[in-house]
Amino acid sequence: MTTYPVRFLLNGTPVEVDVAAQDTLLETLRNKLWATEVKNGCGKGDCGCCAVLLDGRAVNSCLTLAVQANGKEVVTVKGLGNEDDPHPLQESFIRKGAIQCGFCTAGMIVSAKSLLDENPRPSPDEIREAVSGNLCRCTGYKKIIEAISDAAPKCSPSD
Amino acid sequence: MVRKTYSTIGRTTRRKDGVSKVTGREIFASDVVLPQMLHARVLRSPYPHARVVSIATAEAEAMGAVCLTPSDCPAWLYNERQVSIPEKTYRDRTVLPETARHVGEGIAAVAAKTEALAEQALGQLAVTYEPLPSVFDPWEAMAPEAPRLYKDIFLGDVVLPIERNIACFREMREGEVEQGFRESDVVVEQEFRTGRVYHHQMETKGVVCRPEPDGGISVWPTAQSIHNVRQLLGRIFNIPLSKINVHRIPIGGSFGSSIQMNTCIAICAALALKAGRPVRLVLTREEDLYDHCKYPSLIRLKFGVKKDGAIVAGEMTTVVDIGAHNIQAYPLLGCMAGWFVSLYRMPHMHFQGTAVYTNKAPACAMQGYGNPQVSFAVESLIDVIAERLNMDPIDVRLKNYVGLGETFWGQGPTVRSVIRSCGVEEMLQKGKDLIGWESRNRPEARSGRFRRGIGVGRSFHTSGTGAPMSGEVIDYSTALVKFNEDGSVDCLTPLMCHGGGTLEALTKIVSEETGVPLSKVEISPADTRSTGYDVCTHATRGVYCGGASARRAAQQARGILLQFASRILEVNPEALKIRPDEDLGQGVIYLEGAKGKSITVGEVAKTAQIKSWGTAIAVVSHRQVNCPPCFVTNFIEVEVDTETGRIRPVRAVAAVDAGTVINPDLAAGQLEGGLCRGIGLALLEDTDYDPRSGALTCGGNITDCKIFTALEMPLTEDVATFFAETEEPSGPFGAKGVGEAANNCTAGAVANAVANALGLRFTDAPMLPEKVLARWTDYLREKRGA
Repeated sequence: MTTYPVRFLLNGTPVEVDVAAQDTLLETLRNKLWATEVKNGCGKGDCGCCAVLLDGRAVNSCLTLAVQANGKEVVTVKGLGNEDDPHPLQESFIRKGAIQCGFCTAGMIVSAKSLLDENPRPSPDEIREAVSGNLCRCTGYKKIIEAISDAAPKCSPSD
Repeated sequence: MVRKTYSTIGRTTRRKDGVSKVTGREIFASDVVLPQMLHARVLRSPYPHARVVSIATAEAEAMGAVCLTPSDCPAWLYNERQVSIPEKTYRDRTVLPETARHVGEGIAAVAAKTEALAEQALGQLAVTYEPLPSVFDPWEAMAPEAPRLYKDIFLGDVVLPIERNIACFREMREGEVEQGFRESDVVVEQEFRTGRVYHHQMETKGVVCRPEPDGGISVWPTAQSIHNVRQLLGRIFNIPLSKINVHRIPIGGSFGSSIQMNTCIAICAALALKAGRPVRLVLTREEDLYDHCKYPSLIRLKFGVKKDGAIVAGEMTTVVDIGAHNIQAYPLLGCMAGWFVSLYRMPHMHFQGTAVYTNKAPACAMQGYGNPQVSFAVESLIDVIAERLNMDPIDVRLKNYVGLGETFWGQGPTVRSVIRSCGVEEMLQKGKDLIGWESRNRPEARSGRFRRGIGVGRSFHTSGTGAPMSGEVIDYSTALVKFNEDGSVDCLTPLMCHGGGTLEALTKIVSEETGVPLSKVEISPADTRSTGYDVCTHATRGVYCGGASARRAAQQARGILLQFASRILEVNPEALKIRPDEDLGQGVIYLEGAKGKSITVGEVAKTAQIKSWGTAIAVVSHRQVNCPPCFVTNFIEVEVDTETGRIRPVRAVAAVDAGTVINPDLAAGQLEGGLCRGIGLALLEDTDYDPRSGALTCGGNITDCKIFTALEMPLTEDVATFFAETEEPSGPFGAKGVGEAANNCTAGAVANAVANALGLRFTDAPMLPEKVLARWTDYLREKRGA
């Protein structure tokens, strides 16, 4: 099978990986770069569990070909913060009870980050629309919307 | 009542698994990677009913794939659910079947170096099917001439012939129901329906299996009970349990979908044993949609009441379309009777339940286990009674509810216990004020396109399935607690957290009991080799049953620690107390009123180690002797658009009587989530089948088997939650459950709100706009005609 070398920045670190033309960014991240924080909930663009930032905009990595990431910057939830220095969104999700099982959380936070970068003070309706591609079965979304509202004033685009 | 004050219980704290979840470090079954691991795919039947004549594997094997067909698998029939006692367990399936009984049933599997290779190898399997006639409607399935799914199956170790596709039938009577109806002033009767809702847990089911050199196997499954997975694998593959290690791993939502050992686990284990290498199998969303769904309901319900609103007699008849396998229909019917009879007192009752096989995906427990279905019917009909008698619906409820001191058998006829804590009245009264019940008008008072109405629904769930006598269901938990040499504490339990905070609650229970600050109490990783048996984290039993075992283990370990401390302090151990000191990060052992007679837990544990006295450690296996109801109440206001038929809940009050609430923030989250899933059941969700092909009409896409997105979810702002101020004497620190209760009464409250808005009652869920509009149009026409 023909493969193509693809280079991109993954959470700030340059990576190079050989991919087939049909390989999705999701498969490549999970199976070749061990970025298991990117979850596969459907593989069809329905659920948003696999959302990552591609050059700053949230995309479903299951609908993005790996070759499309060539030369770009990919940020997953791990790239936003860690246990010692969590991103305000990550902190708010914990504090506001916006996580239950946690399977949608990584994609949800990535979509919220993409929103806040474009719209630093979103209304609840704007938040609802921005995360409408991220399904959550546990919470009913109320606490997720509250967590994003709560984090907004604490975020800056550089976060 | 005056609430007891605790150092940890009832405090909102930062959940311990929060950081790993928000930073993407939580590892689920599908994230487990092992050296030399192969990836598996399953070939699934395109026919709803077909004999598998032959499967040619040569071409797939030539590609290097390991292939698994029915002839490779043990012939032993199993039931993936291991919660019932063996003689009440219906066994009708094998690892891979020789006859497929629903579209999507796995009939062969392959494992290869990559998922893509496995997918290609799957395409090389050549299967010859002999299609058989199929049946999708439970009434048609019971006709004498209907195609039969099974000739016989096993019930325990006894061969059970299956006639007219009836998987099981249960009938229960108390009093003389006909006499009860004769003595009634008013008799009301209606038929209710709810859909085959898909669990829609965000993580599809998955598993990794590794064969071990000693002939055993290690397993990392999506599961709610690691011990039941171990027991079943041991029995199917004839491996001693001592050589099977099933690891607990976080689960990406469950809602009952993994109470049973999912069928992919047996397939993956068989592949790994054949391949001699680790194998990972993760279901696609489409496969998951064909794996399980909620038990749908067709309920005929009848109540007889006196003029004052007192219920005299109740009769429920239900037919349940269980799909192609009998996972737990027998206990389901027992529970449906229990949910029915334990909501309101009825001196005379009669219940008949029939579970029917059809060629559809098998139904299983989903949050509430028949309770949302039963409560939808009962709560709707209670409002009909109120209407007929011109009474306030709340008064009818207050007059008849089963409460304090009364016998309750929610989990079926063998699980009877007495109610010792009850917040029903408090929730109805307080909820009534919060929603503004007094301003509620009659439907005739409304006009215009948008009509609003307010409805109430109440229900309950059991906290576990324990009772004074053991019955049809197994229920006990095991926990280990030990003090470490630095004063921290480990708690080891096979209990699961589905996201609601069960394990978080256990750390608080252990912290409270040991006197060690919460920051120094952790839940250890668990597997079946290092933990004692726990039946399953289901039935809203985690905190009440699992928490009780952890508290008892903590009590015993604490006793040992105080013995050690008494040697050091030269004080009678029974006079010693422990309090948490957050600044020190230690529990401090002290003699009240005696300065200088104190020492930290860490110093005692370390001294005990250095002097070789031993470790303060205890294991407790415990069965709760009660099965207390966690009552729940919803008040919901809806707005109905009479031009589109769209029903939009606009405001809600959700309350639970969970006894002492251990995690207030997480319990409120449970109430909100349950409310929203209840609204999904009422207004949106079902799985539809194409009657020609037997395939799901959604084609495996979750956008076509919809749940609400954040944009569509009706209640994301105006929701108030509160807890009844009760304490359950048999619960750990007075706690009961929350989990399933949270969604049990919602569909009934929505139906009652719609009836209040329109003067028109909907008895079949989901109440989709097209259905509402058609009925509303007919209703207006009839009114005009009249």
